[in-house]
Amino acid sequence: MNFTVVNHNISVGNIDVGGVSSASIFLVGDTDTIILSCVFDTPPESLIIGPFVPLAPE
Amino acid sequence: MTRRTSVVDYSRVINVSLSSIFHIGDSVQVTPVAWAIAVQRQLQLFYGDEGNFLQFPMFTMELPQPTIQEPITVNRYNASSFIKVNRIHVTSVAAGSVHQIGSTNYINSESRIKHIRQFHRDPNME
Repeated sequence: MNFTVVNHNISVGNIDVGGVSSASIFLVGDTDTIILSCVFDTPPESLIIGPFVPLAPE
Repeated sequence: MTRRTSVVDYSRVINVSLSSIFHIGDSVQVTPVAWAIAVQRQLQLFYGDEGNFLQFPMFTMELPQPTIQEPITVNRYNASSFIKVNRIHVTSVAAGSVHQIGSTNYINSESRIKHIRQFHRDPNME
């Protein structure tokens, strides 16, 4: 695959970002490869009601 | 590969946390990783050694990676050799994230998180 990019002038005034979070990027520049992964996961077992059982030790 | 120069007049970053990166300048490779579990408990009990990532499959499952089946040739022509930004304001860079002013070749970031809430009594019954 041949991929040609012609970049003209780029000049931005103000950028205001609330948050860059969970494997995200805020890049002011060039790059070749970007791979981002995030697995959030809050299934039913995430809400436990009843006597406390500590999590498995490390 | 011709890389442009990033020109930023004013940059303000308030918070960089949980293995995140705020980088000014060029780099070759960036690979931040952050896992987390995050337990919210109704009673204040701290055992100090809790949290086993191997117990939850989401932390050990393989993450999809791009599969490239053919050679790729990228031809890049930059009319201007600068990327200009006047002002940048970032409140937070968190959980394996990257804020970079400059160029790089390869970025591969991973974050998994989880969140568990433990109540002593059913919160809906109160």
